[in-house]
Amino acid sequence: MRNRMFDSRRSVLIRNITLPVLLIVVWQIWASTLPPGSPAPAPLKVLQTLADLLSTGSLVSATLQSLGRVLLGFAVGSGLGIAMGLAMGASPAVRENLDPIIESFRPIAPMAILPIAILWLGTGTPTALAIVAYASFFPVLINTVHGVSRVERKLILAARTMGVSRWTILTRVVLPGAMPSILLGTRLAMGVAWTAIIAAELAVGAKSGGGGSGGIGQMMFVFYAYNIDLNAIVVCMAVVGVVALLIDQMFRLFEKRLIPWRH
Amino acid sequence: MTNIPRQLWVSLRSFGVFFLLWWLLHLWNANPLQLPSPMKVLEALWMLLREGEITEHASVSTLRMLLALTLAIVVAVPLGFLMGLSRRAEQYVDPLVEMLRPISGIAWLPLALFIFGVGDTLPVFIMFYVGFFPILLNTVAGVRQTDARLLAAARTMGIGRLPLLIHVLVPSALPTVMVGIRLAFAASWAAIVAAELIGAPSGLGFAIEWYRQLLMTPKVFAFILAIGVVGYLCDLGLRDLQRKLTPWAEGTGVAP
Amino acid sequence: MSDNAKSPKLRLAGVTKSFVAPRTGQQTLAVAEMNLDIETGEFICIVGPSGCGKSTVLNMIAGLDVPTNGVIEKDGQAIPGPGADRGVMFQDYALMPWQTVEGNVGFGLRHGTPGQDLTKAERTQRIAHFIDMVGLRGSEHKYPHQLSGGMRQRVALARLLANGPDILLLDEPLGALDAQTRLILQAELLRIWGETSPVTQRKTAIFITHDIEEAVLLADRVVVMSTHPGRVREVVTIDLPRPRAGTARTNPRFGELVEQIWSLIRDEAYRAIGGDEPVPALTEKATV
Repeated sequence: MRNRMFDSRRSVLIRNITLPVLLIVVWQIWASTLPPGSPAPAPLKVLQTLADLLSTGSLVSATLQSLGRVLLGFAVGSGLGIAMGLAMGASPAVRENLDPIIESFRPIAPMAILPIAILWLGTGTPTALAIVAYASFFPVLINTVHGVSRVERKLILAARTMGVSRWTILTRVVLPGAMPSILLGTRLAMGVAWTAIIAAELAVGAKSGGGGSGGIGQMMFVFYAYNIDLNAIVVCMAVVGVVALLIDQMFRLFEKRLIPWRH
Repeated sequence: MTNIPRQLWVSLRSFGVFFLLWWLLHLWNANPLQLPSPMKVLEALWMLLREGEITEHASVSTLRMLLALTLAIVVAVPLGFLMGLSRRAEQYVDPLVEMLRPISGIAWLPLALFIFGVGDTLPVFIMFYVGFFPILLNTVAGVRQTDARLLAAARTMGIGRLPLLIHVLVPSALPTVMVGIRLAFAASWAAIVAAELIGAPSGLGFAIEWYRQLLMTPKVFAFILAIGVVGYLCDLGLRDLQRKLTPWAEGTGVAP
Repeated sequence: MSDNAKSPKLRLAGVTKSFVAPRTGQQTLAVAEMNLDIETGEFICIVGPSGCGKSTVLNMIAGLDVPTNGVIEKDGQAIPGPGADRGVMFQDYALMPWQTVEGNVGFGLRHGTPGQDLTKAERTQRIAHFIDMVGLRGSEHKYPHQLSGGMRQRVALARLLANGPDILLLDEPLGALDAQTRLILQAELLRIWGETSPVTQRKTAIFITHDIEEAVLLADRVVVMSTHPGRVREVVTIDLPRPRAGTARTNPRFGELVEQIWSLIRDEAYRAIGGDEPVPALTEKATV
């Protein structure tokens, strides 16, 4: 495990881009050997498609649509998660009683709930929102409970000896103390939520026969089943990835702002 | 842990309340298609078990999962060791990993459907992809957090490079790798429904969708329950494996 | 005691060590021009304030680090790197958490050079012998996390001895233990080292400690180091009779020697906890 501490920035950068560049080049070469009418995706065509989709604005609007849904569903799910998490963290009785139910639902993935959601809410936005809320709920809940449990008993006792009311203790001692864990939970939840929305839109798009909800997942499905365009699918995949990264980065920045004492 | 009878009692009580609320909701709802009564669901579950249909689908899904997980381990663990030990290897591979990781397994479904078509390969591919990253990341972390003093101690005992790798590095990284495998399982199992819903002719995910289309809601519920139960049991099995392979980990507080 | 015609067991000649900070390129001189000869069978203690380079010197003798200048020779030959001939006992034991007591004590024998020429049966026997010697019989199958600090220390000692080194390097091995356990283990150490045996049967030992009384109790000679940069201030010969285990502390000479050594370090120690000079970083464990 020799440490090459003095690797120049340039050589590191070169190594960084070698594989991706190589893969793209090989991919393009392979695609070029195919007959001209082939549907197979190729890097150059993907770029072309990206430009097209951007110019019509459909890519941006679909992305925004998905994001809007994610944010809404995430807000609901994490709101519930924090509230319940605080309640469970603060009161062992609540925790004891709710734990069996929560732990039983945890292994049931959001996607497994989808058919039921479709059954209850149809094939539109409400279903997508429900799935996202369900997906966001658990990471937030679990991390909130964990965060509350890690707040030092001493701090709470100290507050009590100063005659602080229970409600104020909750909001002024427990909540800030649990904040790092809560924020971790929300960051994880957002990642899961983004995946869930894509999945929900894909599946709902499939069920509703291509009409209906809109959004990136929906768009991907359309390009899969109707206006078959693999290059467009690749573009959508890339967008999914980029947005996921951006969301994660934003949440990390947000974390730094909210809990400066941790950084 | 001295309260096991009490814990059981509390669990039963909570489930009892849950079922009661469910039943009340069912009565209030009046649409049995949407929310069947708990009894009907249990009845459906029992029938499916007796006819063996649930076990059939469950084993298909579980086998796919095991295959995918094994593949993910076989690829990700050696790669993780390589990346953890060699700065160079990491500099080459990491960008690619970080570019692919944010693209969820679900986003691959349309493209994968084109490449593999409906069948066994598709769910296995999706689950492999989803499980790959947690194992890789955790393996690299496990290698990196190896206590340098253990390596130094081993060197002062005249232990050569290969034995150092096998007898110090691997055991030291193992607890973290096991955690990665458990995480990978959880993520893959969550992805299985999506993968089978659309892309497979059999399995628990397929069954859910199949019966939903037939509007046989009690069976839908029953299969969803099955997914939860199998997931829980597999995790128990993995936790047991973890305890057997890394008995010291609990003492040092590495593994949950 | 020393024979001028033969090389000493261990010789440090003009040994210097400087560290270069990776980003700033700034050089720090950790150890400056150290010269020391150690004879076979000697028990040497190194004491000094934090940051004087004691652990750095030990690491270099162990072969885990290389001198910037100068040379370290054992039996007249430059040391090639880490090896089982210079066994180390680390400050926090460095036991493999996944091995039992038995596995840890036998680790070098099974996977390294010490046990190469032994049969499996011989190895097992040797392991059992040393586990017994440190008084841990019955705990062979326990894991380190199930042991107390004192027990872990004894495992580390058994492992060290089982590998049959001819030089023992001990880096503040008793530092993490409570005072009473420390007293017990000091006596144990002297016994195992061979205090009651003739000089030729004793191993050569180099022992680093903060505790001056401990140093006076254990050592034949005490190397007193000073800091900024680390160098040998003085080498004090401990002329207390052996065996010392039960008797040394009541000898008035004991107190004199302790005071003598303390007076050499005192000013620097005061400065280290915030006197006129800037306080060296408290990450002492890493830099020493």
